[in-house]
Amino acid sequence: MKTRIKELRARYDLTQEDLAKKIGVRRETILFIEKGKYNPSLKLAHDIAIALQTTIDDLFMFEED
Amino acid sequence: MKDKKGILIGIGIAAAVLVTLSFYLLNAGNIELNEISLIGIVLIVVALAIYMLWDKIKNIRKGLPAKDERLILTNYKAGLYGFIAAIMSATFGPIIIEILFDYELPGHLVTAVVVLFSGFVFVASYLYMYWKGK
Repeated sequence: MKTRIKELRARYDLTQEDLAKKIGVRRETILFIEKGKYNPSLKLAHDIAIALQTTIDDLFMFEED
Repeated sequence: MKDKKGILIGIGIAAAVLVTLSFYLLNAGNIELNEISLIGIVLIVVALAIYMLWDKIKNIRKGLPAKDERLILTNYKAGLYGFIAAIMSATFGPIIIEILFDYELPGHLVTAVVVLFSGFVFVASYLYMYWKGK
């Protein structure tokens, strides 16, 4: 799964730590989601999308295996 | 507040383990090889547990949560691996030690091996998943 979190963070000038504080998770969780090493829950994906003023569909790109 | 209580309890337990271990070492006299390996595992588990506590303190100081959904999931997975390790070590530990060293483990040492091995597997798998993000 690919994400646009890094791109959108840069657009809003947010560090991983800023975003983590906004949604109440640890910085490493944001890092691993960006790297595609951790699949967030629907609630966390929703919270990230809200924090980055976008939608889940726009934020996460699912790849066919 | 709940996180801070958990951290304080964790620090208390780690300190109690280290104090107990130092009293044991002071009064043990001659320490055998099997005891040295058990003490080594205790020290490794305590060191890794202190690292986990320090990491939580670091996050709280930055205004971030001590744990989130990823760490809760990691906790559950590590707990499962620790449980499996406890069953495996209770079943096969005494047999393996008897085959390798021709030494029948007394009951209290079997308990110690099970507790330490499962504790070690829990902490090691927790930290592995923590660093790898799995």
